[in-house]
Amino acid sequence: MKKHYQLVITLCFMLLSSVVFSQAKKPTLMVVPSDVWCNQNGYMLSFNDQGTLVKIPDYKKAFQENPEVIQVISHINGMMADRGFPLKNMESAIKTLNSNSAEDNMRTSKASGSAVSESPIDALKKVAKADIIIQLTWTVNKTGPKKSITFNLQGLDAYTDKQVATAVGTGAPSFSAEIPVLLEEAVLAHMDNFSESLQTHFDDMFENGREIIVRIQKWDDWDGNLETEFDGEELGIIIEDWLADNTVKGRFSTTDMTEDMALFEQVRIPLYNNKGRAIDARRYVRDLSKFLKSPPYNIQNKLVMKGLGRATIILGSK
Amino acid sequence: MKLKNSLLLIIMLCVGITANAQWKKNKANEDTKIWRYDLECEGIAKQGSKLVKVWSYSKNPKHAISRGMKNAVHGIIFKGYAGGGQGCTSFKPLVKSAETEAKFKDFFDKFFLDGGEYLKYVSAATDGSIAAGDRLKVSRREYKIGIIVNVQSDQLRKRLEKEGIIRGLTSGF
Repeated sequence: MKKHYQLVITLCFMLLSSVVFSQAKKPTLMVVPSDVWCNQNGYMLSFNDQGTLVKIPDYKKAFQENPEVIQVISHINGMMADRGFPLKNMESAIKTLNSNSAEDNMRTSKASGSAVSESPIDALKKVAKADIIIQLTWTVNKTGPKKSITFNLQGLDAYTDKQVATAVGTGAPSFSAEIPVLLEEAVLAHMDNFSESLQTHFDDMFENGREIIVRIQKWDDWDGNLETEFDGEELGIIIEDWLADNTVKGRFSTTDMTEDMALFEQVRIPLYNNKGRAIDARRYVRDLSKFLKSPPYNIQNKLVMKGLGRATIILGSK
Repeated sequence: MKLKNSLLLIIMLCVGITANAQWKKNKANEDTKIWRYDLECEGIAKQGSKLVKVWSYSKNPKHAISRGMKNAVHGIIFKGYAGGGQGCTSFKPLVKSAETEAKFKDFFDKFFLDGGEYLKYVSAATDGSIAAGDRLKVSRREYKIGIIVNVQSDQLRKRLEKEGIIRGLTSGF
């Protein structure tokens, strides 16, 4: 009898763990005002880069000075949260980054007085980020006393640079309505279409796998390269074969292949590994990294990841 | 004797009224059985809703009015609408696949029963009166009646997601 109970409990745990692990990794989304909108509304920082005038958006200023952008983002966030997909709030993300940075600068070890370790790459990576950026643009059109809003929402995959969702259009012109009212109408009118196209992207992802980018590079001091032969086959081709065997329906494109680097785009990776656990680019490419470390190749390498969808292997050493 | 005759008369009257009501109901159901209607956007509604004008066809204008709400909910689920004036953008139906209706026939049959659950997701947007331009006689024996209703599309979507008929944005995550 006791054995039966144990069996039932074990089965329950197995079922529970399969349910837990059968959830794919959820992408994060964040609404960001577009460069065009920031430029049109004067929220840009300019600096001279060796004679070239470079302009970058000043998001902090935009959030501090423009109530309309807060209204629109708040509306979009609310509607997405209602669909069970709360978005990252960019204004809060910027504040958190700043406060974390200040705390890290002040923090020292009690024992040794040592500061928190941060490589230059870590410092570069300290920006507000999300897996899907919802780029927001609107312009106010005026014809005599009539006003209308042209509204554009673009869902951009941060790793593949593809536009995965969109909603764009111009609202009805109005004589009397104020801009915030027209903006509210624009959000209400477009969010269904935006969610719809995002849903299509997710459906495609569940059917054909997550799309990622894989880069292969080599350290300068490594004596091998992608043309080095193993059993009569070049390393570049061996990596391509591995991808063909391990992608969903063998789908990937070799965008670039030289002796020093390779770039694979539209690499469709399965959402779960053979244990039923959700995987992302890092977990997937880790298998390739292990494959290259194992005989007959024995190539030490370093795996660098960027979010859910971009991974780089640097051949030669850690 | 007189009492007997009166009683008989009352019974016959009752049976007649019931039969007539049933006949009218069947007639109305027949008119809308093939889901013949047109749906157009009537403006930007409040969050989570769609303000639509639904044009129903019937030989009897009363049937067209009574079926309008049912048609509107059906339209949001299965037909959608193109964009148009008043800032409207196109709306794709909640159910994309044509096979889904057949697959979940039992659910939808029950859902669209007279007085069925569909009524939870629709409300009249006007006081019930129909503008002269929305009451059209399209042929000798047929009317086309337009009524404006408000469909709670977000609630409807959630209901269909719960039933597993459509996928939600977070399904699988």
